[in-house]
Amino acid sequence: MNLKRILSTIALGACLMTAAGCGGSEEGASSGDVSKYPDKPINLVVTHAAGGDTDYNARLLARLLEKDLGQSVVANNVTGANGSIALEQYKDGDKDGYTLIATNSAALIGNKATGLSDFSYEAFEPVAIYGKQAGENVVVRADSPYNTIEDLVNASKANPDTIKYGVSMGGGVYIASVIMDKEIGAKFNVVDTGDASNRLTALLGGHVDATSIPYSGAKEYIESGQLKSLGTLLSSRSEMLPNIPSLSETYPDLSVDTYYVILAPKGTDPAIVEKLNKAIMKVVKENPEYKTEVEKMNFQAPWCLSVEDTKAELQKQLDHFMKFSKYLK
Amino acid sequence: MDPSILIQGAMSVFSDPLTLGFIILGVFVGIIFGAVPGLTATLALIMFLPVTYTMTPVQGLSTLIALYVGGISGGLVAAILLNIPGTPSSIATTFDGAPMAAKGQAGKALGVGVVFSFVGTIFGLIMLVTISPLLASVAIKFGAFEYCAVAVCALALVISLAGRDLVKGLMGAFFGLMVATVGLSPVDSMKRFTFGMSELTSGFALLTILIGLFAITEVAKAAEEVRQKQDMRVETNVHIKGFGFTLKEFFGQKFNALRSSIIGCIIGILPGIGGAISGMLSYTAAKNQSKYPEKFGTGIMDGIVASETANNAGIGGALIPLLTLGIPGDAVTAILLGGLMVHNIAPGPLIFEKSGVVIYGLFVALFLSAIAMLFIELFGIRVFIRVLTVPKYFLLPIIMVLCAIGAFGNSNRIFDVYSIMGFGLVGYGMIKAKIPTVPVIMGIILGPIFEMNFRRVAQLQGSGETLLSHPIAAVLTAVAVAALIFSFIMNRREAKKLAAQEAQNGAAK
Repeated sequence: MNLKRILSTIALGACLMTAAGCGGSEEGASSGDVSKYPDKPINLVVTHAAGGDTDYNARLLARLLEKDLGQSVVANNVTGANGSIALEQYKDGDKDGYTLIATNSAALIGNKATGLSDFSYEAFEPVAIYGKQAGENVVVRADSPYNTIEDLVNASKANPDTIKYGVSMGGGVYIASVIMDKEIGAKFNVVDTGDASNRLTALLGGHVDATSIPYSGAKEYIESGQLKSLGTLLSSRSEMLPNIPSLSETYPDLSVDTYYVILAPKGTDPAIVEKLNKAIMKVVKENPEYKTEVEKMNFQAPWCLSVEDTKAELQKQLDHFMKFSKYLK
Repeated sequence: MDPSILIQGAMSVFSDPLTLGFIILGVFVGIIFGAVPGLTATLALIMFLPVTYTMTPVQGLSTLIALYVGGISGGLVAAILLNIPGTPSSIATTFDGAPMAAKGQAGKALGVGVVFSFVGTIFGLIMLVTISPLLASVAIKFGAFEYCAVAVCALALVISLAGRDLVKGLMGAFFGLMVATVGLSPVDSMKRFTFGMSELTSGFALLTILIGLFAITEVAKAAEEVRQKQDMRVETNVHIKGFGFTLKEFFGQKFNALRSSIIGCIIGILPGIGGAISGMLSYTAAKNQSKYPEKFGTGIMDGIVASETANNAGIGGALIPLLTLGIPGDAVTAILLGGLMVHNIAPGPLIFEKSGVVIYGLFVALFLSAIAMLFIELFGIRVFIRVLTVPKYFLLPIIMVLCAIGAFGNSNRIFDVYSIMGFGLVGYGMIKAKIPTVPVIMGIILGPIFEMNFRRVAQLQGSGETLLSHPIAAVLTAVAVAALIFSFIMNRREAKKLAAQEAQNGAAK
């Protein structure tokens, strides 16, 4: 008997708490005053898994935004299919500014180019591009005869289909290989070798002759002299690694930047978007803790764009990728 | 092995009091899961995997390893005191454990089980530390051909060894392969069998399938018996003096322990076979090699030594292919794979170079878990005996709720909670039809590995490479074919035997 009473008390308590919680959220939604925003916790949906760079950037931003906004920013991972599951699910999410999405441009723009998604950034209210990936490096083994990207490309033209180039089909790395094929005329034997760590294994094991790997993954092998970096796939040299050339210096079309992006569902109040952008900008550009963390963990220089610049940059990348869309599908 | 990384790894465990605390807590909880029949080591890891997401890599993996060691070893408590294996891996422990308890030697039986669990774990650890760097240096040469062949070989072994029935093993494995095709295809990322549902685009998460097939199914199975009056005759009059047996008796078992360790470790390395079979095999081997086989089953320590050394030696063995090839051999290591991925540790030939500190930390954690298991189980045996008497209808609802939370926490969506219920129903149906569930899991794990590498092999066509230019792959494929043929012959022989027996019975009537 006693146990029953305890249980029913607990159940009743739980009901009351849920009811109280609901009441609170309705109040928050009805208040249209932007100056009060945010007056309750913000849910940040991260489109990629915990442990990766997209998740790392989103969580770091969430933690530091909390101090500026005075409300907690709770990061949740909703993963799968290169972020397209979360993007599909939340593009028409609550427009009250309390649901935000953290993703990257390889998912947002790349998935449209490869045909995985049938929408791109225009299905959202972009809040900010708040970072740029340190960049994929095109790498070869140290004992290989190629020292520049031109060596590699020319060798492939001389002997088509003999140089194996490892990619992950459908990703930014694959888009880069298509650009090399269609625009530059390289004749690689492009083979799928999986994600960055598998591409590294395949290169070191001699299964491919060249591939691209994010700098953070290849760093120790480049420093110990087992691998050579021929350059990055960035549109310009990274401030953090000024000695590594950008391949777009040789071949202007060969650039695949990956941006970290915050989005709000379509129809969110522009004033809220603007306010969020200011808060993010402040963290990225002024918070010394942010700078130390991204530089140390991701070889990434603090970088953030306004709402307008964010839209322009995303459109630019969409145009760039869509040129190759028919080869990607 | 680079000693400085080894020292860093050890330091990462010892310098963090939280890690040490999690190891002790993990072993304790693991033993409870192992001890209570119906709860298993797999379940313990499923329950606590989401908790480790927010820990540091060393803390998280140490906790999982501690649960694993505790869960495998804890089964001996119920095996000896209740004559019911607490986990499947303790089945062979009941053969001599229960008779010893009946003779009033419960304390000695528990002491023997605990100490040889420790011996087995340490042997497995030594094998892990010595073999895996060697295998890693070979595995770097593994390309698409080799991984393809590894997947085929592993699947063939699972099908032929996991169940008694080749056809039912095949059914399980094929169901797993089918489930694995839902979602984006490897290499070209085409949507398959998603029926327009965006929730299915990435397929079913491995964790939700594991929870459904192993946890929900266990709860459903146990719920069948809840209304039956439980006949709990727990031997509570247990006294252990020291380890419960003499030093002379300990050294008398040295060959038995060594043989059982080797069997356990090899079975651990092979995919999909698991602790239950390794315990049985080493028990049979110990009996056949013994000078007094007739005494087996009457309550002698040799039987407990064989079973418990072997199932714990399997822990180190099972970690070898997981770490160096990224191929888990059973449900527990599949969960560990999830634990590694969450902390951004990619298993594979480069694991010692890329994540050396964490991996050596994991080895140290395994060692400490073995020690913690030894002392917690010896001195805390009364607590575990009490746990055995807790009625199931208190435990099962809690487990059900934790399962749902674990599934939701995997990707923060309610769809995964529906999935575990669906897979729970499927799993329950499979148990009723006597279709083994381990081949399902292996099908789900190995299917994508096979398909992805098969497609890569196809991309290499034109370069003149064939199966014969890859000797390792050719040998593995031959082993796969041999395993299936062998299993087929054994099945037919058994069927003939059964038919003959029935005919005889019929004649006798």
